[in-house]
Parts: sequence; C-alpha cells; structure tokens
Amino acid sequence: MKSRDDQYVLRLVVATGIASVVTQLLLIREYLSQFQGNEFVIALILFGWLSLGAAGTYTAGRIATGSGWISPSRGKLGWLSLLLAALPVVVIFSVRLLRDTVFLHGRSVGFYDTAVFVFSTLCAYALLVGFLLPFSLYVLRARAESDPTRRVYIADGIGDMAGGALFSFVLVFLVSPMQAVAVTGTILAVLAVVVAVSDSDHPPRRIVAGAIVCASVLAAGMVLERWTLSPTDGSSLVEYRETRYGRITVFRDHGQVTVFQDGAPTFTSGDIVTAEEAIHYPMSQLEKPEHVLLISAGSGMLRELEKYGLQSVDYVELNPDVAEIQFRYGLLHRIPGLRILYRDGRAYLSQTSKRYDAVIVCLPEPDTFQVNRFFSDGFFRMVRKRLTRTGILAFSVEGFENYLGEAQRQKVSSLANTAGLHFSYRLLLPGQRIHFLFALQPLNPDIPGLLAARGIPTRYIGAYFQGNVTRERIAQLDALVDASAPLNTDLSPHLMRIMLGQWFAKHAASPTLFLWAVGVVTAVYLIRIHRPQWVLFTTGFVTMGSEILVIFAFQIFFGYVYLQIGLIVTVFLAGLIPGALLTACCGFAPRRALLISDGLLALLAGCFAWMLHTSSAAPPALAFWGFGFMVSLLCGFQFPMAVSLAGGEKAAGAAFSADLMGAALGILITSTVLIPNVGVVWAAALLGVLKIVSLVSNGIYGTNQQT
Amino acid sequence: MGCGLGVMCASVPAYALWPFGGKQSAGADADDIIGRVFKGDAPETVWKWSREASFYQNVDGSTVRCGICPHRCMLAPGDRSVCRSRVNVGGKLYSLVYGNPCAVHVDPIEKKPLYHFKPASRAFSIATTGCNLRCLNCQNWEISQAKPREVRHVELFPDQVVSQAIRTGCASIAYTYSEPVTFYEYTRETAQLAREAGIANVLVSAGYINRAPLLDLCRWIDAANVNLKSFSDEIYRKLNGARLQPILNTFQTLNEQGVHFEMTNLVVPGYVDDPDMVRRMCAWILEQLGQNHPLHFTRFFPKYKLDRLAPTPVSTLERFRELAMAEGIRYVYVGNVPGHSGNHTYCHNCGKCIVERQGYFITANHLESGRCRFCGTTIPGVWS
Repeated sequence: MKSRDDQYVLRLVVATGIASVVTQLLLIREYLSQFQGNEFVIALILFGWLSLGAAGTYTAGRIATGSGWISPSRGKLGWLSLLLAALPVVVIFSVRLLRDTVFLHGRSVGFYDTAVFVFSTLCAYALLVGFLLPFSLYVLRARAESDPTRRVYIADGIGDMAGGALFSFVLVFLVSPMQAVAVTGTILAVLAVVVAVSDSDHPPRRIVAGAIVCASVLAAGMVLERWTLSPTDGSSLVEYRETRYGRITVFRDHGQVTVFQDGAPTFTSGDIVTAEEAIHYPMSQLEKPEHVLLISAGSGMLRELEKYGLQSVDYVELNPDVAEIQFRYGLLHRIPGLRILYRDGRAYLSQTSKRYDAVIVCLPEPDTFQVNRFFSDGFFRMVRKRLTRTGILAFSVEGFENYLGEAQRQKVSSLANTAGLHFSYRLLLPGQRIHFLFALQPLNPDIPGLLAARGIPTRYIGAYFQGNVTRERIAQLDALVDASAPLNTDLSPHLMRIMLGQWFAKHAASPTLFLWAVGVVTAVYLIRIHRPQWVLFTTGFVTMGSEILVIFAFQIFFGYVYLQIGLIVTVFLAGLIPGALLTACCGFAPRRALLISDGLLALLAGCFAWMLHTSSAAPPALAFWGFGFMVSLLCGFQFPMAVSLAGGEKAAGAAFSADLMGAALGILITSTVLIPNVGVVWAAALLGVLKIVSLVSNGIYGTNQQT
Repeated sequence: MGCGLGVMCASVPAYALWPFGGKQSAGADADDIIGRVFKGDAPETVWKWSREASFYQNVDGSTVRCGICPHRCMLAPGDRSVCRSRVNVGGKLYSLVYGNPCAVHVDPIEKKPLYHFKPASRAFSIATTGCNLRCLNCQNWEISQAKPREVRHVELFPDQVVSQAIRTGCASIAYTYSEPVTFYEYTRETAQLAREAGIANVLVSAGYINRAPLLDLCRWIDAANVNLKSFSDEIYRKLNGARLQPILNTFQTLNEQGVHFEMTNLVVPGYVDDPDMVRRMCAWILEQLGQNHPLHFTRFFPKYKLDRLAPTPVSTLERFRELAMAEGIRYVYVGNVPGHSGNHTYCHNCGKCIVERQGYFITANHLESGRCRFCGTTIPGVWS
C-alpha cells in the first residue's frame, strides 16, 4: 500500500508540473495581450513567476519541516493541489477583468505598473506552485526509508517537460486558454482526490465536494471565456483566435474592422495613409517594377500594389492566421500574381534565388528580438543579395510629428547607418511613420511628382505630402542622423536597448530602481545561502540565461520556426531527468561532482560563445539542441548532488529555492541587460564566467574546509 | 445591516487603491491625471532664454502664484510649474523658453486646421517645450512633456521669428505643436512684432488659459484653433489632465473679443464618441458662440499612451458631422480622413460647394470677397 500511495504522490507531482508549465505559458500570453509585449515585460513575467516560486519553496522549507506549523500529509497535499487546479481560472480572469479596472481602457502601461500588476495577480498561484514541490517531497520523506529527493525532482522534470510539449505541440493548436486549463486542471484534480482519499485522516466526502467545486470553476472558465474578452466601448468582438504566435482579436465598430494582435491595434480597414506610404514611397522610385517581396502586409497594401501591374507579388507572413483574417474581413484583397508564403521572412530570403525589384518590410516596431531580426545588418545584407541592380529596400518605424526625440534619433541613426553599409543611397521620409528607402541608385524625394508622371492615383500622398513631408522636413531629418550611432547587428541588437529606453522614457520611468532593488534582494539572499545552494543558484542562472540565448541565436540563424522553438524549450527540460538519474551511477563525491559539473558548464558556455563568434553561416541546428540538452543535463545532475551535500531536512526546499532564484535572475539579466548591452556572444561568455566564479568559490570553500 | 466596508468599496474606485496611481491620483479626484508642480526642480540660475513672466503674484516675498492658466501653480523658490517651463528663482517667476523654440516648420494653414482663415497660405510654425495638459494621446509628447533642457533647441528671438516668417513667404506665424499658453511671453511679444510687420498671428491651443492673459493676447491674435477635447469634465480629467469649464470660458472670451476661431474635437473611441455628449456640446456652442464658428471632428489614431484603442470609424465622424449640422452649426468638417467630402466648405445658404479641398490644396474656390459666388451669402472667416 505504502509504495502505491507514494506512486500516486509522484504522479501528482508530474501532474502539477504539467499544469504549472501550461499555466505559466498561458499567463505569459495573457500578460502580453494586456500589456506591452517587449522583452522587459516577458522577462518581468518570468522573473515574477520564478522568484515567487522560489519564495514558495523557501516558505515550505520553513513551515512544513521539523517543528513547522504545517505537518506534511497526503490529505493536505490533495487539498492544496485541488486549489492549484482551479486557481488558473481565477488568475486569468482577474488579469483580464482588472486590467481595465485598475488602468484606463486603451492606455498602455509602464514598467512599474506592469510589475505591480503582474506580481499581485501572479503571487497566489506562483507561491502555491513553489510550495507544493518541496511539500510533496516532505510528504514522501515522512514515510520513506531512502531520500526521495531525486525521485521528486525527476517527477517534476517529467511534468515540466510534458507540460511544455503538451502546450507547444498540442494545446496551442486545438484549444482556448480556458479549455487548456480545464484539461490540465482535471488531470491534477483527479490525482489530488486520489492522494487525499488515501489519507485516512481526511474524510472522502469533503474532498469529493471540493473536487465538485473545482470542476465547477473549470467549467465556468470555459463558459465565460469569450465574455471576458468582450469590449466595453461599443464595438463588437467578431473574431477571437489563440494562435501559436499570440492572440488575435477582431473588433467591428460601425463598419470599421480592426485587427488586434496581443491587445495592440495592428490593422484597420480603410487605413489609406499607411497603405499608400508603405507601397508608393518605394514603388514610385522604380521604372518598370516586375517582382515585389512583401514581408508582412497591412490593410489596403495589396490594392495599392495592384496599380503597378506587377508580374509577381510574394507576400511572406509568419502567422497564417494574420493573413487569413485580413483576407476574410476585406483588409487585403487577392491580386494577380500574388503568392502567399506562410513562413519566416528571413528564412525565405536565405533560401530563395529569386530577385526582386522591391523588398517592402511592413513589421511593427523592433522592440522584440523576433522583430529586431528584420532591422539588422544580417537582414539588410540578405535583402541586398536578393535585389536587382535597380532594386529598393523599404521599411519604416514609428515617426514623429514635429520633433525627433533623442531616443528616436538614435534609433533612426542606427538603422540608417546599418542599412547604409549595404546601399549607396538613402532617403528618409518623415511623418507618422519614418520611411527608410535604400537603393544603389539615387532616390528622388518628389514622390507626388513621380506618381503623377506615371499616372498612379493616390488619395493621401498627392494631397498631403507637400504639407506633411516637405523638402525642409526631409532635409532636417537627414541632418539629424548621427553617423557615429552603433550598428544594429544580429548578435548585438543595439536597437533593442534604444527601444527599451524609449519605452521607459514614454512612461517617465527608469529601470534603475528596479534593478537596484533586485540587486539588493539578491545580495541579501546570496549572503544567507550555503555553497551548494550558491552552485544551484548559478546553475539556474546559467540554464535560463542559456535558454534565452539559444532561442535568440536560433531565431537569428534559422528564422522563427515555432515548433523548433518549442523543441528547444523541451530540450532544455529533457536533460534534467537523465541528469538526475546520472547521480545514481556517478562514482564521484558530491563536492567533486559539483566542481566537475561547474567546470563543464563553464566550458559549454565558452564553446557556445566561440561557436557564435566564429560562425559566418548558420551552425548546425543540432549544436543548439545539443548545447541545451547538455546544460539541462548538468543542471539535473547538480541538483540531487547539492541537496545531498547540504544535507538536513530543510536542504531540499532551500535547494529548489536557489535553483528558482537563479533561474529568475538568469532570465531577467540575460534578456534585459546582457544581450541588449553586450550582445549574444559576450552574454554567453559572461554566463561561462559566472560558472567559473561558482567553481572557484566552491573549490576554495572545499579547500578551506579540508584545512 | 449596512456594512461600512461595503460602502467604502462601492465608493472608492479600484484604481484609487493602486500604489503607483494607475490613473494617477493627483488632483482633487482619484481618477484625474492633472499635473503636479515639480518641487525643487528649477535651475539655480536663469539662463539666456529666460524672461520674467507676466501675470504672476508674489504671495509672501518668496512664493509666487502663476496666473497664466487655471492650474495657478503656487511655486516656492526652486519649484517648477506644471507646464515645466516656468520656475521660481529668487522669488521671481521666470519663463525658461523665451526665444528658444524646439520645433520650427513651415506648414499649410489648413494643417492647423484653419479652413476659414487665409486659405492656401503658409504659417511659420513654432513651439517650445512644455504643456499644462497631460493628454494621453499627445502627438507631440516628446516636446510637450519635456523640460527645456531635455531637448534640442534653436535660438530664435521674436524679431528673428518675424524676419524668418517674411523670408519664407508666410502669411502668418502659428504658435502651435506643444502649447503656446506655456510660452505665453514669447508668443505675445512675437505676435506684437508680427502685427507691426503685417504678419498675422495664429494660436493653436488647448485653450487652458485664464481670462486676463487671454484678453491681453487677443489684442494680437488674428485666428485660433482651440481644441474642445470633449464636453465632459470627467473625460477632461481622465484623458487630458484639465477641466472643462476654463476651456469653455476661453471660447467665450475669444468670441467676445471677435477673434476668428475654429474648434477641433478629436473623437476618441469609447470616450468622446457619445452622440448625446456631442448634442450637448453643439447646443452649448449654438447658445454661447453662435452658428458661424467652424467645428472639426477629427479622427483619432492610437498615439503615445493611448495606443491600445482602435482608430475612430469614419462613419462615426460622418454621423457627428450630420448631427452637428442638424443642430444648427453651419460649418462642420471631418478631419484626418484623406479624400473625404467633409473636408470641403459648403455654403450654409445654398448648400453648394464653395471651397473644394484635396488635402492641403484648394482645388476649387468659389468665394468672391468672402461671399458665395452662387448666392452671394457672406461666409464667416478671414478669406484674404
């Protein structure tokens, strides 16, 4: 009986892992839909999740061990797991409903407001998840003859990996967030009931009643899901899709259709200005254009292109749903010669041999790693190779009305300098958006004149260009380009740093206070922990930092291939289990094993940095997966070793906590400080340095103890 | 039995409890975004582009009260005003932006928008940093929400502004982009010199100004476009950080002083698109200002912090235009919609199109000495 009950507890740990990872991914998407989708916010969400989780595990170590006031039991574990199963519905609904209650409808929110909102809404769930893992361990340990730490760690790893895979490969394609929560919540609830019932101190009737309440909450989530997304401003929600790349909602208001992606309006019917500027600014420069490549497209753009009687228009769109919805609601129209390619624009450019007269990029602001790849030196080089001798590259960024702010000026300068490396001539056109035209032949700023000469009719350009985009304004903008502004390269995304700075400036905030606060809390934490936990802290840091690095580097070299990104995330979890299993057959003493594994982690990070630095072309994809697997393998290997070295009943909770704290800081510092400031190569090298510091400090500690 | 906590919960909005002021509780009410004085933020000494301000009182020998706008900032030595461009240095109030614009352009007068004032002419347009409002959808936030030393400037004292306007062939000087109320002294003295040189003066403003300074300015101003951002005090507080009544007072003063002015109403979806509110607004305009002041309903696009809203549907603007004209306002336009027939001017008597516009170009003009060529009716405005 005893071993069967233990098996149920381990299965519950697996189910908790599945449910928590699915909820984590759903919440990231939810927050991104409600707030700004830049890297700082993504890092903030993950940081909040992991640091609150760390606080939960720490709390478990304090209150559920020894003479703590909660004695571990299967009944309590079952009740807490039942609560965990239903909680995602409450959290997701509160995020959706409180967003417009706390903040003004339609208003974007700054960093600190986002941080407080994320932490407030996340804390109950993340604390409970963090608490449950060590609590499960204590439940098992209360009856086990051998230390169950390794088994719990492996079960958690299996659950996390299965949750990641389940979401990335199945749920995201098939079900809505509330349906996904219902699927994982039901599995968790059933196991919670089984575990609780196995505890003779807890009457089954109560836990069954609890399970019914939990099921009701999960069902209510599904029933009310669409209502929570309905607008309050008089428009109507006509389409709602959870795609693999994020949420798409379509609203209709008095005949106007607006497509929102992750809560931000991206395309609106009848947006003549955007369509005419994006298409006619570059196309007017070409004598006889035949082939055009559009990287993404917005409302009305294909209609404008049709005026040129082109032989072919290749429209590359990463997210098929974006194109499909635009065609369905009449924002885009099929034109002769149109070919739609659902793939990553960079991946397409690197493989096609076709030459184009114009490559027109219609993407949002480069404030994420994903979009930044289309504004980098590597991308401009690719485009140059695929353009005809008279061909033209066009892209745009957010513009200005009457004054170019300093951050915006640096952004424009960096882009002008970077693209300028590959083209002889540039023309910068100011306006609501700043349009960049690059070519190997001189460019003519008299766009209305060129269009008139070719008989191309427009509604906006002909009537407004001479007032909004005067020669004087064009000259002023060009004169403001700072020739010394750094280049925006794939491996060192300078633009990201500017964009983050601009976002903070817009909300009159600075990340300094936050980073100082994080630094102080981390310093206090590090002073209090023991050496084995320090090793786990640095390993957690390096593992999550490496994961972000690998995802970013993979995108740079291979394009955004969703399934492969899912594979990377899964690979980073897959190594944990064999790593933990390896400890059983490893003959080294725990301290020596930690030193060796630290050394290997440092070496791996160094090798990864070296590989990125020396690669002129894409390294084999296997190298990325292999690196991810090895990092997670060593992480999985170190965990039981560190717990064993630390000893004591509270060590497991503290170890989980150290791992999570390290992971939280790893993701925050790597994505918001290291990559934007020093680039991918140096970020990888610095992760290696951190592991060397861990190695040295652990080695010195060991030597001191021996002496 | 009643629950005290319940009463409190019902009367206190959730955002009032938000630690960072999700809706920035700064004024008398919890949900307004009215700006605050910047305590101890003034430079130690004034600089080349400083002038002692007009319309202020020394309250107690060191503290001053600015009288330019309804904020009536009370500034101790070292404090900076809500608009960011006025400081108390040594018990005197100084404007820091005199002769120091950060944006200088030549624009078509239709861009302001002014459709009944010197059509097809050009306006030499200047702005300095600062604004006494906090509009969440500000198009020029990088200058309006900035302090003078945070942006690039050019030196252009009033006489230089006038000579540049003449050199560039402009019929008017427009004080625009950010908020001319905050660079009042610069505006006033430039306007005076411009008048002497035969150049007209155009004020493009949110109208948040006190009566006394406005009366003084009216002596030199030839035309104005003033935003009537909504007809709700609550929305003014939420979206703009201002109050409605002072702006209504501004319209009354301009009307009383005979300044040609046009009104702009930016229709923000979910906030300013209530037909009942538009009806009330039109009724007030008709009663207080008359039928002849042009009214522009302009299309909102997501901007600055209000960037998670859809643009205004064109049909909403058309509906409001029809509604306002049905109420009795004679000249109502649709703005920010290229190629729309609501950009043209139609004679209020015969209904014929008398000024046809394609963007900033006049493609047909059927006015003769300010009268409709078809029926001879006088069309309100300054046409030459």
